[in-house]
Amino acid sequence: MSAPSERLREAVDRAAGHMLRASVLERLAIATASTALALAIGVGIVAAAGYDPVQFVTSLIEGAVGGRSAIARTLRFSTLFILTGVAVAVAFRAGVFNIGVQGQFVVGGFATIMSIIWTAPLLPGGVVGGVGLLIIGFVAGAVAGGAYAALPGALKAYADANVIITTIMLNFIATGVVGWLVQGPLRGEGNAAPNTERIPEYVSFPSLVFDSSGFSVVGLGIALVTVAAIYVVMERSRFGYDMVTSGHQESAATYSGVDAERTVVTTMALSGVVAGIAGSVFAVMIMGYYTDPGGIATYGFDAIAVSLLAANNPLGIVPAGLLFGGLDSAGTHIGLYTDVPVQLIDGVIGLVILFVAVPELFRMAAQRTGLGGERR
Amino acid sequence: MSLADSLGGNRVRIAGVAALVAAAAVAAVAMDLPLLGIVTVGFAERSLQAATPIALTAIGGLYAEKSGVFNIGVEGFMIFGAATAATTMWIIGGGSPGQSDIWLAILASVLVSLAFAIVFAVLLIRYEADQIVAGLALWFIGLGFGPFMAVLVWDSRNSPSLESINDLTIPVLADVPVLGPILFDTSPLVLFTAVLAVAAWKFLTDTRYGYWIQAAGENPEALDTAGVSVTRVRYAAVIFSGVMAGLGGAVLLAQAGSFTGTGDTMVSGRGWIGIVAYLFGNYNPIGAAVAALVFGGLDMLQIQLQTVGISVPNRLVNLFPYAGVVVVLTVWGSTRTPSAVGEPYESEE
Repeated sequence: MSAPSERLREAVDRAAGHMLRASVLERLAIATASTALALAIGVGIVAAAGYDPVQFVTSLIEGAVGGRSAIARTLRFSTLFILTGVAVAVAFRAGVFNIGVQGQFVVGGFATIMSIIWTAPLLPGGVVGGVGLLIIGFVAGAVAGGAYAALPGALKAYADANVIITTIMLNFIATGVVGWLVQGPLRGEGNAAPNTERIPEYVSFPSLVFDSSGFSVVGLGIALVTVAAIYVVMERSRFGYDMVTSGHQESAATYSGVDAERTVVTTMALSGVVAGIAGSVFAVMIMGYYTDPGGIATYGFDAIAVSLLAANNPLGIVPAGLLFGGLDSAGTHIGLYTDVPVQLIDGVIGLVILFVAVPELFRMAAQRTGLGGERR
Repeated sequence: MSLADSLGGNRVRIAGVAALVAAAAVAAVAMDLPLLGIVTVGFAERSLQAATPIALTAIGGLYAEKSGVFNIGVEGFMIFGAATAATTMWIIGGGSPGQSDIWLAILASVLVSLAFAIVFAVLLIRYEADQIVAGLALWFIGLGFGPFMAVLVWDSRNSPSLESINDLTIPVLADVPVLGPILFDTSPLVLFTAVLAVAAWKFLTDTRYGYWIQAAGENPEALDTAGVSVTRVRYAAVIFSGVMAGLGGAVLLAQAGSFTGTGDTMVSGRGWIGIVAYLFGNYNPIGAAVAALVFGGLDMLQIQLQTVGISVPNRLVNLFPYAGVVVVLTVWGSTRTPSAVGEPYESEE
């Protein structure tokens, strides 16, 4: 190898490294700008609707990080946003638009509760039985969520049915069927409300660090372990590589011997497994029983915003999930202590997604104002 | 293209629908269901009304996709359309709005949708937004701000009972047996939609502008070479689709007579079903309207089953349209989409 070509190689490497950093930085800038712009519009609407915007912003911050119980609440929501966000990211990264995470989350959580209720009489009580039942519940949740996602995956792969629409329809169907089951056939005995029985007291996460009902560090731990596992699968394994290439360069993937159809099904299944685990954490950590899914929070939808904000990168999901946890926690606080309708927060989340979808808007704005120099 | 041609092109689909209906009829007879009790004049009338908002949305969405832009945000436009119509009706009509207030509310809703559609079209076309993500975003914005408007006005996600649109009775024609009550003694919005579907089909296949729209989606370079601005054609089609979806939402509200903002709001997936309706109708406005009618019928089946004494839980019967969508997409999923859908077009100049 001659010296000039080595030097050339070095220059190219340096340039590539620079480009990579710039693009990560740029993504970060777009995510921040999108969130800031959406929040600014939200505050503007609050002011236009005749509320006090300063008080709104204060209660936004107070609700997210003001005190120990607010932080526990933020982390509780964040746990679920991180898990559902990773579920979305797995699929989106591979170019499969799984909008059905909410449905898979519901099916997984419901399977967790029912499997624990059904097997509890067969196992001893106490810590050993509790851990055993947790394992059974989580496996049931993961399998149910995975299967419910593999179905639209298979319909896409073998019948070319649009995943976006089938998964949205399956969300409605999951909510309807589980709602019917808890109203009628599987309603807990003597329950006035449409709920299943409660799972036994000893099947729960221990409260460590935070003494808060509905949040346990164990849940957050499960979320972070899942993030790490998915990161390794997506970025460091042959399977993940095939998944991502078949999503972005289908013909290249096919030439290198990847079965495109099967990859779609496995991608969806993996995404659904994570969504199912999210459902399990929700069922065990927060609920302790299952209820009409028409009334539970739409983590699976907001997760789409979380994932997009993180540019579908598993590691980016953690800060994005924390941000959304904070937003939702602030929403709860605002709903309790102010007159501002909490639906505003949902709208702001929609605006965040909209702005993330239009990076060009910010690039042009940056160019116009001279910020960011000659980027692009 | 004549009607015969376009029917010929869709022969498989038409045969499919016919086969489905026949299979349902055979199954009904085999299971000894009172078929005549299920398929009544009232059922036809209710199905047509349920189909109207879906058909309007489908026709608009079809134009956008034909022009090369996938407007997946129609569900969001429908929510805004319904919420705007409800709040307008309340503001101008007070506690007891009349029939003229309904029409004004629909008009207001169309104007607001027009404003939103222009902004959305600029984001999609000028700023090359990711069409799928931006469309989803619009849905979420609707799910948030639709109920938000309701809470601002009524302190609740649902409105009190407002006013629903009266039937229009056309003298003489309304007395024709069967067809009379179905077509000439029903909501004027049903007739309007039927006329619009035919007009939209004629416009798309028989006029110069219709060809431009098709060319913008199939072969934008050729259209550009012919001296027609692809961008302008796409703006027109996307704005039209947003307005139609907003109108669909307003019509949904005018028929229901009150706004529901809980859960997935009163729109509850009808925009998504509209998208499937035009895919199923193979991008033909009339086909889309017929497909919407199939989904409208599935939606209204519940009342029929109740009247003949078949007790299927409501919660499950309500899922028929969604299950129908999955089946339709699975069996007829591989529609040939216009070749340039989803790609922003950069003119040479």
